[in-house]
Amino acid sequence: MLLVVELLLMLIDVAYFILRAVVRVFFHPRPKSVDGELCLITGAGGVLGRLFALEFAKEGARLVLWDCDTVANERTAQLARKQGVEVRAYTVDLSKRQSVYDAAERVRAEVGDVSILVNNAGVVAGRRLLECPDELLERTLLVNCHALFWTTKAFLPQMKVRNHGHIVTIASALGLFTTACVEDYCASKFGAVGFHESLAHELRVENNDGIKTTLVCPYIVDTGMFSGCEIRKEIRKLIPPLQPLYTVQRSMKAILGDQEMICIPRIIYIPFIARALLPWDANVVVYRFLGGDKCMLPFIKNAETKTSCGESQAS
Amino acid sequence: MMMIIAEFFVVILKVLWAFVTAGARWVVRPKEKSVAGQVCVITGAGSGLGRLFAKEFARRRAVLVLWDINSQSNEETAEMVRQIYHETETPIAKDGPVGGVEEVPAFQPQVYTYVCDVGKRESVYSTAEKVRREVGEVDILINNAGVVSGHHLLECPDELIERTMVVNCHAHFWTTKAFLPKMLELNHGHIVTVASSLGLFSTAGVEDYCASKFGAIGFHESLSHEIKASEKDGINMTLVCPYLVNTGMFKGCRIRKEIEPFLPPLSPDFCVKQAMRAILTDQPMVCTPRIIYMVNFMKSILPFEAIVCMYRFLGADKCMYPFLAQRKEAMNNNEAKNGI
Repeated sequence: MLLVVELLLMLIDVAYFILRAVVRVFFHPRPKSVDGELCLITGAGGVLGRLFALEFAKEGARLVLWDCDTVANERTAQLARKQGVEVRAYTVDLSKRQSVYDAAERVRAEVGDVSILVNNAGVVAGRRLLECPDELLERTLLVNCHALFWTTKAFLPQMKVRNHGHIVTIASALGLFTTACVEDYCASKFGAVGFHESLAHELRVENNDGIKTTLVCPYIVDTGMFSGCEIRKEIRKLIPPLQPLYTVQRSMKAILGDQEMICIPRIIYIPFIARALLPWDANVVVYRFLGGDKCMLPFIKNAETKTSCGESQAS
Repeated sequence: MMMIIAEFFVVILKVLWAFVTAGARWVVRPKEKSVAGQVCVITGAGSGLGRLFAKEFARRRAVLVLWDINSQSNEETAEMVRQIYHETETPIAKDGPVGGVEEVPAFQPQVYTYVCDVGKRESVYSTAEKVRREVGEVDILINNAGVVSGHHLLECPDELIERTMVVNCHAHFWTTKAFLPKMLELNHGHIVTVASSLGLFSTAGVEDYCASKFGAIGFHESLSHEIKASEKDGINMTLVCPYLVNTGMFKGCRIRKEIEPFLPPLSPDFCVKQAMRAILTDQPMVCTPRIIYMVNFMKSILPFEAIVCMYRFLGADKCMYPFLAQRKEAMNNNEAKNGI
């Protein structure tokens, strides 16, 4: 009897949350204030990382910027300081666990406790699997997936003590569905999604309701990371690569609204749901129609030419 | 413009047809292909599902190449395989040299064992080299080896987290790189990824396992797309996503007691038999039991909070906690015994 009552209550709750999600599409919740919060952004030297830094700076958050590229990281720090917030930049190699922990220790000692963690750093090998050096494959997995474990282990304990914090994972649409030629990237982004969701479930179970999580899954963003990637030309206008600023601003709305997950653009939900709904052969047919199966080939060719150019320049 | 609209209609028809053929499989079993004489590599063959896969392939007279980190259990599996080879020997009739018919034994498959740590790239490559030299080209690759750390994230030693990731996910890259080139050359082969339903949706307490299984699935699907796009139709891929299997790996894991009878842990035998059916009929994906397809679909359309509600009701949110507690106790007991 009790079971039936609980079942009914559960269904009512589910209906409420579905309704809330639909309403939120039209009426964004009021963004929370992050004024004075300490926000750490990985990959802050890159296009998206820099934009996140500037957006958080606008909101009044203090910043800690991590990147393996010192020059780019310092540039981001300079730009963010113009917003009048405290910014510290650290050079960190996310593929090395100890580098992450050492930097985290320094941040705790020199700046304070991180309350917003934006796991944004991402790389891709850009070669076909059988032609790709193993080190590049490993690097993609280490930076895009393993690093999430280390940064979370570094900063979550303090968030738990204060029951206050926000962990943001910048994954990718390629963490929800896949395409050919980017096995390393898909594996790593799927892993990031799996990690994030499992962590989110654990925080709910342990009633850490002060710690929020947001999973951001953007479609291809025009940062140059996947330059050359192209779907079918008739469809291209409907789903062009995203503008970096739009992507970040959309993500900020989700983060500051404590939204658990966001796909940018919303149309990405369709292939995500299709992957779970359609038989595999049907998915392949749809991909072929959209040019999704071969979309990464020009990107791979581009990446290969760049490397060979670089090599010929060096020699 | 007209072309694309026409194509669109053809796509819709093909999608509907795919549903029909997928549904038809439930009713009319497609014929299972023969793997007699084919070389089949199974990782993690020393225990659990790996051992059962070995026995199933042995029954079908495949040549078995067993990889495991544990030499003893690997050899035990090999013994069982030899036993099955012996039991399934059926001599065939052949015309004798002096007239009349004589019985000769059919092709005699063999089993080969190798100790290999699939988490180490070099170990995979050197073992693969040995296999190519001593056995021949590999036709079927079963990426089955899997581990779990068994600790909550913040209490888990980093080495165990890394181990889960390299064995459950990275290893697939290395084994594929080792064996796929020849498969592509011969346009013949089958790669099976034994993932988990925890690669489609997640739960609390097993962040390393979920990350690694999601990753394995991401790798498998991306590779499948690449092979489909390359039109190498002789190479098949199958993704196996079982719900909790009773192998002892997640001993203690428990959902709500009222729901448990409807969704009990799977018997390893049943799980492997379903997987074999899918592999031998070139099915791209198999979830065991079928309700997992439903769970996967619901997870993709429902908002996260709604999923949390359903998990709470089913006891799925805390299902891993007894398993983690058991592991912790076992570790503490070990430490007490060793006088730590």
